[in-house]
Amino acid sequence: MVRLKKSLTALSALTLTVAALSACGGKNDANANSAASDSSSNSPSSSASSSPSAPSSSAEPVQFSFYFTGSQNVKDLWDTLIPMFEKQNDKVKVKEVYIPSGAGAEPTYDRILAAKKAGKGSGDIDLYEDGINVVSQGTKDDVWAPLDTSGIPNLANIDPKTMADVSNMAVPYRSSAVVLAYDSSKVSAPPKTLSELLDWIKQNPGKFAYNDPSTGGSGSSFVTTVLYDGLPEDDIHDSDPAVMAKWDAGFSKLKDLNKFVYGKGIYPKKNQGTLDLLANGEVEIIPAWSDMVLQQLGEKLLPDTVKMQQITPGFNGGPTYLMVNKLSDKQDAVNQFLDFVLSPEAQEVIVTKMNGFPGIELSNMSQAMQDKFKGVSEGFRTFNIGDLGTEINKRWQSDVAAQ
Amino acid sequence: MRKEVKQAIGGLIMVSPSFVLLLVIVVIPIVQSFVTSLSNGEGGYDLSRYQFLFTDKGMRANIFFTLKVTVVSCALVLLVSYSLALYMRFSSGKLVDWIRKTYMIPLFIPGVIATYGLMNLLGNHGWLARLLLPLGIALPRLIFDEKGIVIANIWFNIPFATMLLSSALTGIPASIIESARDTGAGKLRIFLRFIFPLSYKTFLVALTFVFMGVIGSFTAPFLLGPNAPQMLGVSMQQVFGVFQEREQAAAMAFFTFLLCSVLGYFYIRSMAGEEVANR
Repeated sequence: MVRLKKSLTALSALTLTVAALSACGGKNDANANSAASDSSSNSPSSSASSSPSAPSSSAEPVQFSFYFTGSQNVKDLWDTLIPMFEKQNDKVKVKEVYIPSGAGAEPTYDRILAAKKAGKGSGDIDLYEDGINVVSQGTKDDVWAPLDTSGIPNLANIDPKTMADVSNMAVPYRSSAVVLAYDSSKVSAPPKTLSELLDWIKQNPGKFAYNDPSTGGSGSSFVTTVLYDGLPEDDIHDSDPAVMAKWDAGFSKLKDLNKFVYGKGIYPKKNQGTLDLLANGEVEIIPAWSDMVLQQLGEKLLPDTVKMQQITPGFNGGPTYLMVNKLSDKQDAVNQFLDFVLSPEAQEVIVTKMNGFPGIELSNMSQAMQDKFKGVSEGFRTFNIGDLGTEINKRWQSDVAAQ
Repeated sequence: MRKEVKQAIGGLIMVSPSFVLLLVIVVIPIVQSFVTSLSNGEGGYDLSRYQFLFTDKGMRANIFFTLKVTVVSCALVLLVSYSLALYMRFSSGKLVDWIRKTYMIPLFIPGVIATYGLMNLLGNHGWLARLLLPLGIALPRLIFDEKGIVIANIWFNIPFATMLLSSALTGIPASIIESARDTGAGKLRIFLRFIFPLSYKTFLVALTFVFMGVIGSFTAPFLLGPNAPQMLGVSMQQVFGVFQEREQAAAMAFFTFLLCSVLGYFYIRSMAGEEVANR
């Protein structure tokens, strides 16, 4: 009996703890919910708001959540832009949620989708930043709100072709380019075209590396550039699976390269993997994101002798996109923010901070900026092949890595 | 009510929280991923995902590679850990004190940092290569190779395995060994007849933990391993996250679970045997 008593005591203690914990959780949830509904009902334009009991006072600013991921430079960028925006618009507040690169950005998209499926609205994620594959995934799953110039006038500053690529579901607010980064103390005449580069790789075995394309954009850019070399220009804006048949020549080139690349077929993981090899002198030329190279040169992580070179046809760069959650009840506030991001003023900050390309057309930028990009932007190409990127990674894994 | 019945009810109540926890965080997810893995993506259910697992050349290579790395890592880890534990149990002196104080250090270094350290140490132009250069010794390729993964596994698993084994060896009464020695048994005989049988259970526990840890490892194989073949953990991440084939990833996860459950069977059988013996 004594034993039973003891176990009962233990059990009741456990129950109490659980109850206390769940009560805490419940309380927090309740707070969060009421906070969310408060702020939404305070929005002057939220006719869809479902809580008429809360009095709406237009003095309170609307706050929306903005989830983004990336390296530290992306965080620095938003830390600069958001205060600039909030200064101009005292009615809107942006709640930044930064998920460091590699710390699980995928679950953010899964959360959006799960909230939609569970009928829980936006899941408190109003604006989200990611690459093209998430844009097309979300378009398929119908979670992004279509955007137009009536809500965001500055959308007109963007090349209409780029907007057509994403069926107006996302804002390509900035772009980066992939270039060749090379050690000028060892390579005096870097290749200027893709075929020169391929020749160079064969003549200098083990001195070129590109990263596993499924782990980082610079390797992926090299792979797609080789695959689409010599194909019609339209194909890089085509996500029709029929194009896949045209890859064979490119894949056989990549297979051939296997014995000439670093370590006779070693493809480091992530963009940083090849940069590390360049930094410690194991390789001499790599494809790399221009902004990463510039940043690491600035921080002395790469030797001063590292220089950059764009080739023709250019490596494909990629815009980074902002997507609005279709179920967000704060779309007007989000639109105001997006309009600001696309203003020449904000774009200038993006260009200087990220060493990247503006998302809007150069003709909308100041003369000084237009001069800065003279000659550089020509080699810049945007690919849009939708889900085919995944197919490339799959086939690369079986044909090139596991040959 | 009889005393036994009361005790039985009390016992059931006591185990129910852990049973519920096990059900929610282990059993249900496994059943779910099994169901997911059976779906063929066209609304039907069949074994096509498993068929792919064993017929695709790359996938088969991944499975063999994973098993090879796991077996080699387990053998090396247990060899080193058992020797260390034996040495600490039956010797004394400064060196033993020193080992006792330091062998746990790897437990306190986060996996990613240790992996990065290993890359810097063992890489082609790493510290070790630079130290050995004046001696004219060229290192074989360690990083981006299975050797790198095995070295990382040894680093990660030795502390825990040694800790388990040395506690088991400490539990062996000195009197048994002394009396055996008095009757003239040699060192090898003492080890095979007394020490190993008495620490066998813990040895099995250590083996189970190392096996499970290695077969499901991700960070070190991802950063140190070759592009192909891959460990199952890396391949699973690629199939799930990059190729977005959830059903295929579920099939791989379930297969990994089956591999682990083979060892789990021996572990549970041995533990159940002990319970019966203790009664």
